[in-house]
Amino acid sequence: MTSPDNRTMFEQEALPHLDAVYRVALRLAGNETQAEDLTQETMLKAFRAWHQFRPGTNVRAWLLTILRNTFINEYRKARRTAPEVDVHAVEPFTVFEDVQETDPEGRFFDQIVDDEILKAIDKLPEEFREALVLSDLEGLSYAEIAEVAGVPVGTVKSRIFRARQALQRQLYAYAVEMGYIRRRVGS
Amino acid sequence: MTPRERVDCRAAFDRLYEYLDGELTPEREAEVREHLDRCLGCLRLTEFETAYLRFLDARAASVRAPEALKKRVLRQLLFSENEESREQA
Repeated sequence: MTSPDNRTMFEQEALPHLDAVYRVALRLAGNETQAEDLTQETMLKAFRAWHQFRPGTNVRAWLLTILRNTFINEYRKARRTAPEVDVHAVEPFTVFEDVQETDPEGRFFDQIVDDEILKAIDKLPEEFREALVLSDLEGLSYAEIAEVAGVPVGTVKSRIFRARQALQRQLYAYAVEMGYIRRRVGS
Repeated sequence: MTPRERVDCRAAFDRLYEYLDGELTPEREAEVREHLDRCLGCLRLTEFETAYLRFLDARAASVRAPEALKKRVLRQLLFSENEESREQA
């Protein structure tokens, strides 16, 4: 099945995506120990199934599909359930409406530290978190995300839309709380 | 070919992220652009959302796999390979 050539190929093609696999694993599993185990298992499964990979297709999407399936089958139950934000909530205003006078260019975003962004991402319900991580942290196209998540492209679109809006509201609320920006009077 | 529609603010907002992600067909994209050309409010909203996506993108690669994990994975590949060649022998 495998040969030294195979391993060289795998190391050249798949290993450069280890950081991406780990980042997604971390957001799915929710802690570093589980994310490391999940990453390791994903890479081993991918190596053993390397002969099934179709050259010329997207290696990263292929690895992330294996990661996702491994997470669902073996790790999902262990994830601690953090309180989730309601991505379907109908808000009376969008963040932009609130900041258009004071900060229309969204400069307040830049003051938010990475840890807070990740914390806010982790509060999104799983399928929305997954869509956002794959699109905004890993740069996958809607079609690639649909392939990884096994859902139609239309579903990916609406998940990305809701996830981004819900994340933006959380980040804005945090920025207001920290005093990075003043909430518009009357809202 | 779908005929080009005049889109209103609501329809432009619904397609906002698809527009920014370059996921619309050329016709749909042109419809949104036409709307933005004549609606300053939606244009400014689009600029704000562009800044938001740029901000997410800039923070995207901040987490990397630990070095120890990289080594573990490499060792594991070598081990798995040896195991398989033993099985085949």
